[in-house]
Amino acid sequence: MNAPTIWILTPAIFAILLMPLRNQRALSLIGGVFTVLLAVAAQFVPMEQALRLGTLSLRIESSLNILGRQLVINPQEGPLLALIYGATSLWFFGAEASKSALRFVPLGLLVTALMVASIAVEPFLFAALFIETAVLLAVPLVTSIDKPPGKGIIRFLIYQTLAMPCILTSGWLLAGVEASPGNLTLAAQSAAVLGLGFAFLLAVFPLYNWIPMLLEESPPFTVGFLLWILPTATLVFGVGFIDRYSWLRTSPQFVTALRFSGLLMLATGGLWAAFQNHIGRIMAYGSIAETGFALLALSLDSRVGIPILFLLFPARALGLAVWSLALTILKERSKSMRFSDVRGMLRIAPIAGAGLALASLSTSGFPLLGGFPARLALWDALARVSLTGAFWMGVGVISLFAASFRMLAVLSMADEYAGWEANENWLQALMLGLGIIGLFILGLFPQAVQFFLADLPAMFEHLGQ
Amino acid sequence: MFIFITVGLLLLTALFLLTLRFMLPDFRFAWLTATGGAFLAWISVFFWQTGMPASVALPLWQPESVFRQSPLFLADGIAWAFALSVTTICLAVIITSVARDNFPSPLSWIGVLTLTGLGVLAVTADNPLTLVLLWAAIDLTEMTSQMRFVENPRLSERVVISFASRVTGILILLWANMVSASEGFVLDFSSPPPRAGIYLIIASALRLGVLPIHLPYASESSFRRGFGTALRMISSGSSLILLARIPPDSVSSSITPVLTLLVAAAALYGAWMWLRAPDELAGRPYWLIGLGSLAVASALRGNPIGATAWSCALILCGGVLFLASAKSRWLETGLLVGLWGISALPFSLTASGWVNPSGTHGYIVPFLVAAQAMLLAGYHRQSQRSAARTSFENQPIWAKNVYPLGVYVILLTILLLGFFGWEGTLQIGNWALGVTAAFLMVGVLWLIPRVRLLNPVRAHWVRTTDSTQPDIIYRTIWTAYRAVRRLLNAFSNVLEGESGIMWTLLFLVLFISIFSQAAP
Repeated sequence: MNAPTIWILTPAIFAILLMPLRNQRALSLIGGVFTVLLAVAAQFVPMEQALRLGTLSLRIESSLNILGRQLVINPQEGPLLALIYGATSLWFFGAEASKSALRFVPLGLLVTALMVASIAVEPFLFAALFIETAVLLAVPLVTSIDKPPGKGIIRFLIYQTLAMPCILTSGWLLAGVEASPGNLTLAAQSAAVLGLGFAFLLAVFPLYNWIPMLLEESPPFTVGFLLWILPTATLVFGVGFIDRYSWLRTSPQFVTALRFSGLLMLATGGLWAAFQNHIGRIMAYGSIAETGFALLALSLDSRVGIPILFLLFPARALGLAVWSLALTILKERSKSMRFSDVRGMLRIAPIAGAGLALASLSTSGFPLLGGFPARLALWDALARVSLTGAFWMGVGVISLFAASFRMLAVLSMADEYAGWEANENWLQALMLGLGIIGLFILGLFPQAVQFFLADLPAMFEHLGQ
Repeated sequence: MFIFITVGLLLLTALFLLTLRFMLPDFRFAWLTATGGAFLAWISVFFWQTGMPASVALPLWQPESVFRQSPLFLADGIAWAFALSVTTICLAVIITSVARDNFPSPLSWIGVLTLTGLGVLAVTADNPLTLVLLWAAIDLTEMTSQMRFVENPRLSERVVISFASRVTGILILLWANMVSASEGFVLDFSSPPPRAGIYLIIASALRLGVLPIHLPYASESSFRRGFGTALRMISSGSSLILLARIPPDSVSSSITPVLTLLVAAAALYGAWMWLRAPDELAGRPYWLIGLGSLAVASALRGNPIGATAWSCALILCGGVLFLASAKSRWLETGLLVGLWGISALPFSLTASGWVNPSGTHGYIVPFLVAAQAMLLAGYHRQSQRSAARTSFENQPIWAKNVYPLGVYVILLTILLLGFFGWEGTLQIGNWALGVTAAFLMVGVLWLIPRVRLLNPVRAHWVRTTDSTQPDIIYRTIWTAYRAVRRLLNAFSNVLEGESGIMWTLLFLVLFISIFSQAAP
């Protein structure tokens, strides 16, 4: 028995087996329970140690050889898997409420398994192939047989695919840098190509225009899932890169580039969000700003930056899950997601409206909500090294708040007198209610997730020390 | 520990009432339950005196390497004065609700009890992180309650504007934290770095709750008087505590003189508008501006005890006036205790208001005294307008007997805080300025019937169609907003259009070039 079989191959096979199932509730429950089990196992089952079950002795190896390549899941990566599969279970449990479980659960599980594989594969170059496969599988997730794919989907596919040659080329160049460390030109070239690859993958400014387009034309719940899993896995993969190459880790230009990109994404994401008239596009820019926060965390001293980066992940997962589910519910009840069509929806779908507002406020960094502790720590750490950087982060945060307030004002303003009536079904209300409670717990007690996060920095040999 | 007993009593009562509302909608003793809970909480505040100062910490935020502070509460003299003021208002609002048209209104009592619980926690916050969390909780509670009570959905926008203006205060407090961090300090109330004090004052002023000028209850004066009073006073108290926590030496900055002048101007404006307000509810925002400015001025002049005194006067003296809605001779006489409360005369609640230990910014004192005189005159005029109050006669006998207790409890607390319990008690203070303000008040009262300019203006909150000054400001902001939106939309359209990929790559190259030029 080995870890890659349990956390990569088994979910992938299970996902294929789920495909013929046509019952929303069964799919949602089976997918949710299965991923919870994977998460619990990742957190509690020790790897590379003999596990005694009565007379039976079991040892979970950390690697698996396939076609001369290796999939390696180290014992330190257990909490990361728990986090990824735990967050995936949130989406799967919410899939029935969003009425998207039929395609979402099997394909979503397959995408998750592939993204885990991208983190685990050795040599790391092959991660690009896993990511590309995941992106290709994501296309049927966000398209429909009934209508031709929109511009956003095509743009998504183009940008994510363009990342692959960049990562592969950088891998080839990096092998040369390892062979001749003194060759600065080669190092600069490989860093530039690598940066470009990650810029495409993480949708760094100005390569993020597919995100708002995708949210305009595709189901918000599935897009929300992609906006969580793709950047999260890519960031972990990217941190692995930084950890591996000391010349990259210690380069001041690299730190400046990360900080500049992070601030640019945060400020532009926030600013654009503040001027949108479409609640889906506001979520898109909110997720762009989230990636900006993560890049900013990476630009800090790793002793502070890496714990902050991991602190950002649970809040991002929960915030996006609540946000996209609320959007899906509101979209069901209005002609479109434009402001003119969702005016006064707070009185028609109060729980979804509250979920939308709170998730958006959490992304902005409103105190009490999940996003706040990580943003506070990040802002504080950034201010200690650069007050100008902290100022621009403040600009981004204020703009995100402005977007939240506009959205809240529009949702609460109706043209005529209307009573309060909760039209969400019990499942939608339950899922949103639990999500909202989760946001408050994360906001008030960030130490609650330290159970998962405390040991995560140790998965990086240099950055985690 | 007593902090949590008080808060627990308030929140558990609110929770109990909420449960009753769903389980037993016809429960007849909701008012008695609410009053009982509020009364026990009020009594429990006095027990704080047995063990002050007392500090209570919540579990540490982790990882400790990234969080330099964790939630912490402190019960000291200043927090006690604020907590007593806030719980007194809560008790009084619930007791006096028996005389209002919307009685019984369990939902508004639940709101008041919850807000008070959070308010008590806020006034005991011992670091900015705790205060920020509690401000956020108060803001969310306020917004939810207001949204629920606003019948006309068009007015919901005002609720959101009010929420946004308060959140701006939170962001400024957080920015003070960042400024401190950039200088290598951890922002702490006991020793804030020199540049941070100014941001704390601005944050507190922004959160006073005067924006938007009027709460969205145009047609519901019962809510404005009861729940609205609790809302305004408790949220003001939770904001003003920050002024009382600023040590005198941390407000020295290059912009302090400018800020002091602005505060004096705000005090004069608020006091003038209060003096000319057609009724006490219409004038309430100006009362907050006027007395809030006096509190801010005290903080700027290095007198946190004075800031506490003015803040408690704002809550209690304002509270008693706004809650007094019944026509009665004893009420008119009793309300004069409130006048004593804001007089700054020896042994009054505000006796320490004019003390200036640092001796700075003396040039604004005449303006501030003039503002105080107008506030006193306005208070006197509003308290003696019995004709504007509703008659008591058609109330049930028990309500007639119970209602005055709500007013008495506030009057008692105003007197009590002048003599007992915190650092500002039994003060003679700068009595000369108090006496000057009192004489000026008499002069203004003498002039009111003789000078037309001093007569009340009509209630402008009912003017919805006229183009007012704030409307012009909003329109200008809106025009600028639309211009920026057009610009950003044009940029988005270019990137998302048919040739978007080429434009995106072009911009990417442009940014890489700019960055590579700028990078060292």
